[in-house]
Amino acid sequence: MSTEPKIHIDILTLDSVQCAACGYMTESIAALPEDVQNMIEYKEWSIKNKEGIAKFLELKGRVLPTICIERDLVFESIIPQYEELIDEMAKRAPTPQMRDRILSLRDKGFEFDKIQENLAKAGAGMKTRKDSA
Amino acid sequence: MAKQLLIDAYRGKKTPVAPWVPYAGVHCAFVIGEPADKYLQDPEILAKGVVTTAKRYKADGIPLLFDLSVEANAVGCELKWWPDNVPSVVTHPCSNKTPEEAGLKLPTKESGRWPTIFKAAQLAKPGLDEIDCVMMGLLCGPLTLASHLAGVRIFTDVYKNKEFAHKVIKFAGEVGAISAQFYAEMGCEIIAIVDPVASQIRPETFREFVTPYAQPAIKVIHDAGLTSSFFICGDCTKVLEEVCKIGTHGFAIDEQLNMNFVRDMARKYGLGFGGNLKLTLALSLGLISPREDAIVSLAAGGTIGYTFAPG
Repeated sequence: MSTEPKIHIDILTLDSVQCAACGYMTESIAALPEDVQNMIEYKEWSIKNKEGIAKFLELKGRVLPTICIERDLVFESIIPQYEELIDEMAKRAPTPQMRDRILSLRDKGFEFDKIQENLAKAGAGMKTRKDSA
Repeated sequence: MAKQLLIDAYRGKKTPVAPWVPYAGVHCAFVIGEPADKYLQDPEILAKGVVTTAKRYKADGIPLLFDLSVEANAVGCELKWWPDNVPSVVTHPCSNKTPEEAGLKLPTKESGRWPTIFKAAQLAKPGLDEIDCVMMGLLCGPLTLASHLAGVRIFTDVYKNKEFAHKVIKFAGEVGAISAQFYAEMGCEIIAIVDPVASQIRPETFREFVTPYAQPAIKVIHDAGLTSSFFICGDCTKVLEEVCKIGTHGFAIDEQLNMNFVRDMARKYGLGFGGNLKLTLALSLGLISPREDAIVSLAAGGTIGYTFAPG
């Protein structure tokens, strides 16, 4: 298993199941191709539970949904194009090698075959209640 | 509970008091102690939930259903069901094909869950009429339905692959017009186009892809002599002027918008507007007082074209 550092992505949402805007913001990360998936880790933070509210405050969120890359509020109420996502992740890659690898995938485009698996990894739709553990 | 009051407000007219619409959705299932997945697939339970909730909250209008997966499901998208939420769309038949190439057909009254919804409307309507409460029809807007059909790529395609995006969103608009026709036939006096993801795009993209493809549904609603609205979620500040120009009698927004800004925009265009009791901060989390929040919304909204509703 690779010990290479990953790019951290936080997706601040109301609830990616209930809210379509939040859902497709989350899908924009879950549908990144596998080579990109190997370089990132991400999680959905629904503000319907205390943990999500704490993360929203910690990252100084302003609107929902928002994609934060390496703690920067990058896409606020705008669902990104594929290339925009790649460019913003590349800018924040932990190493020049990773930056170059990500940029080499700029023409690859979204992939939809593993979305459900990737959404589950991100905890999408799993913590959408006030009493969610 | 007063239908005419609500219709007047939705059309931008002055009303003696602001009418009230709870977008109860699957909360209706909670009110009658049923799980959301069962509730949304059983016409008797659905009708019971809507009427019980309308009575409980003394609503002037209530959506028959608030579930934006209906249209997608009716043209072939698969769903994942949740016991405490609306279903999620989990397959995108146009992720690499146009609707025509994917063999998608426009829905009929027999497609997907439409038979359930027709039956539920038939059962709920007398109960709602009895309390003078509008049965509202909510249909999935063109960009949100296109997202269900093609997945998140549609937000790249609207810039990089416009021909494909136009084909998908045009088809979505035609599906929406059929939904509008269905809701008109069910007896819904107000029909709203609900396009939450339309807040997540730039104004020029809205003008090119949302405005034209919302027109078929708006025409159906207006030709039937009914009242129209456009519901949008999220921080839609950047596209609100486009929403005002789309051609509906009014619009509704969510808790992230400043109600004074929204009111002034609605008045500029002579439209009805609804919102924006803070669904999350007040109603769900209780971080602010729902009572104080309601007072603030009511004061800002006023009584010209304003409907008090969750945001």
